[in-house]
Amino acid sequence: MKSLNIVLSGVGGQGIISLANVIANAVLESGGKVIVAETHGLSQRGGSVIVHVRIGDVEAPLIPPGNGDLMLSLDPIEAARYSVYLKKGSMIFVDNNITPPPLPGIKIPSLDEIVESLEKEGFDIIVVPAVDEAKKAGNPLGANIFLLGASYQTGILKEYINEEAIIDAIRKNLKKPEKNIEVFKRGKKWAEERLTR
Amino acid sequence: MAHREVLAEPGSRVVMLGNVAFARGALEYGVSFASAYPGTPSTEITEALSYASRILGGPYVEWSANEKVALEAAIGAALTGIPALASMKHVGVNVAADPLFSSAYMGVEGALVIVSADDPGMWSSQNEQDNRWYGIHAYIPVVEPAGAQEAKTAIIEAFKLSEKWKHPVILRTTTRVSHTRVIVEAGEIDIAKIKRKGTFVKNPEKYTLVPVHARRLREELVEKWEKISNDLSQNQVLNHAEGNPDSETLVVAIGLGYRYAKEILAAHGLLDNVRLLKLSAPVPLPKSLLLNEAEGREKIIFVEEGDPVIETLSKALFYDYNVRAEIYGKGTGHLKKTGELELHHVEKLLAKALELEKTYFSHAMIKPDIKLPPRPPVLCPGCPYRAVFYALRRAVGKARIRPIYNGDIGCYSLGVNPPFQMQDTIVEMGGSIGLANGMAHAQDDKVPIAIIGDSTFFHAGLPGLANAVYNRSPMLVVVLDNRTTAMTGHQPHPGIGVTARGVEGTELSIVDAAKGLGVEYVKVIDAFNIAEGEKEFYEALEYVKKERKPALIVAKGACILLALAAGRRIGVYPIVYRVDDDKCTACGLCYKAFNCPAIYSKDDGKAYINELLCTGCGECAQICPFDAFEPVDEVPPEWLRLMREAKPT
Repeated sequence: MKSLNIVLSGVGGQGIISLANVIANAVLESGGKVIVAETHGLSQRGGSVIVHVRIGDVEAPLIPPGNGDLMLSLDPIEAARYSVYLKKGSMIFVDNNITPPPLPGIKIPSLDEIVESLEKEGFDIIVVPAVDEAKKAGNPLGANIFLLGASYQTGILKEYINEEAIIDAIRKNLKKPEKNIEVFKRGKKWAEERLTR
Repeated sequence: MAHREVLAEPGSRVVMLGNVAFARGALEYGVSFASAYPGTPSTEITEALSYASRILGGPYVEWSANEKVALEAAIGAALTGIPALASMKHVGVNVAADPLFSSAYMGVEGALVIVSADDPGMWSSQNEQDNRWYGIHAYIPVVEPAGAQEAKTAIIEAFKLSEKWKHPVILRTTTRVSHTRVIVEAGEIDIAKIKRKGTFVKNPEKYTLVPVHARRLREELVEKWEKISNDLSQNQVLNHAEGNPDSETLVVAIGLGYRYAKEILAAHGLLDNVRLLKLSAPVPLPKSLLLNEAEGREKIIFVEEGDPVIETLSKALFYDYNVRAEIYGKGTGHLKKTGELELHHVEKLLAKALELEKTYFSHAMIKPDIKLPPRPPVLCPGCPYRAVFYALRRAVGKARIRPIYNGDIGCYSLGVNPPFQMQDTIVEMGGSIGLANGMAHAQDDKVPIAIIGDSTFFHAGLPGLANAVYNRSPMLVVVLDNRTTAMTGHQPHPGIGVTARGVEGTELSIVDAAKGLGVEYVKVIDAFNIAEGEKEFYEALEYVKKERKPALIVAKGACILLALAAGRRIGVYPIVYRVDDDKCTACGLCYKAFNCPAIYSKDDGKAYINELLCTGCGECAQICPFDAFEPVDEVPPEWLRLMREAKPT
């Protein structure tokens, strides 16, 4: 019963579902089993999005609360919202930009407040300048793939997905594949330089 | 969306959405006719078939005006001897319920599968009705796939079942089957089969449900139902038992429930200890299979998504056959009755029944100690509806009326949220005009304003409008014409003149339809023009007050996402707006009262525009009293045209 449960979160339109599709296809290329459960319908309209990616020997589509092994998130608020799905000590890769919900008169917590609250619960939170770095690479919508690159470098995905399979899945499933492959490599490099583990 | 993977090479393994796997399965079976009305979580089935039809030249695929017409059309096609598919969301089956019940009496010649996509948890629906009840109520077998993993097989089996018994079959899927991606192996598609046409052979004794025929057909139906039950007991593809045949415990796992039960039993090392009965064709109840498996067990556990449908039927069966066992399920209160199942819910049920001490899926939830703002879906930046709501609210104030906003199903439902809060009722498709009819006559001091979308207007708005004219119901009907069925992902509809197969259709005019129904006051406004909207809404409200008759205004402006997509195709892009800091007085009108998601307030209260989100609609420049908004460059006229005229392809 070996499995890896990945929670992807963010705001509708940020590329969370595309990211899930790349991961799923990379698992397929690597010869594994994968189930991806999406929450969409209303998500294009700026709503909160969570996607459950279950890799390995699993049957059911949804990750139960407290069972996720890893989170990739394009928004710190959404990372905190869906951290209930993670096991204690799980790694959370999150972009440093907060997209404020467009509601009149609400209080938005700061990135520091969010990071602190997650660290207090024992999560291993890694703040990644994914959007900024993707922009630098000439691909502002590539933040999702930058996060994938950064998390891949830590080795947590290697047992289930090989690197060539990710490159291949990007090539087959994303627009501007070469730019996205470049972003993936930059994400890996960013993690290699900044994270020692 | 195209969902190109629906045409994956035979023999290849591809990642597919459950709904796309349904489409693939239908094609592999040889479906020749497919009709649908869009509705989450069913839409992608027909989107994928629409793509396939454009590439392969078949099957015939259509977006129908509503679910009732979709099912009627599919029944008609199936009576000519070809396999037909009608797809809809669960509440769509309510709209189609009339022909649904009759179809069981008549039967079919080719095959007829009706997809009902249920939405437990109500991710994008007004209720979480369990449409397996329809199967029982209407005498129509129900196939319920055990997860997206079984989607392709299940729909093929549903077609075979229908073909064998010359009877309609409901395929009940749920959000977690339809919207889950898994690896699917593609089989062969016979193009000649999907392109075939049928021939209707007249048989009035079967196809005209006058009482004399219907009485005989009713007898036959009840008899057939028992035979189908026996057949489902033998259907090893859909229904089978596994694990220890001598176990004291039987787990009856229906549809997706099988995946939950199996994963939990595997984690606890119990797969070889208990008996697991997988039911993917649970209606009519496969009685002999169930009785065989139930006999002599001490405990029987039911795992099913939705209502305790199979548990309830089984308990009645057990009573009749004197099967006595401890029952665990939703009906006995051991599993929650609302929302969708998750592993920890099912583990709790199994742990209780099997007296398990260890748990693998029921970890304590870790909740960080921080207050998070909610993030509901909102009207997009540049949505024409925001401008319409704003103009309408100003007109209502000016006309000094007490409005009731009868809302409807579509993106404009989001107008229920602050700052607009202009949806006082949302009931079902077409309910805006329908309810306004009652509100108009039940009270004298208020004016009902029915707000309905273009696709919804053709779906179920027309009869309500006919009623309003006939009974002289004083109301303002606002038809929000954004040139598409937007909320489900931009499908065309009768007002667009583009069909699901990509060939030209006839574009119906909302104005002509309203005039044809006898509405005397009909006007079209530019949805993006707030001043014009305010003036026209005001005048229409004055007319309603004075004449005590319905008035109708079509607010026309394309869904901005559609305009952006159309622009990308031809290289036309919007010009974003910026704030002139010297003119901005920090009044907050744009980000509070107008609430465009692309406009934020700076620390000093002045507005700024997030250029990544701005769609260049120019609505902000119209509402700012201080002229603080300006485009950063000259706005191309071609973009202004697309904002008004873009439509789905």
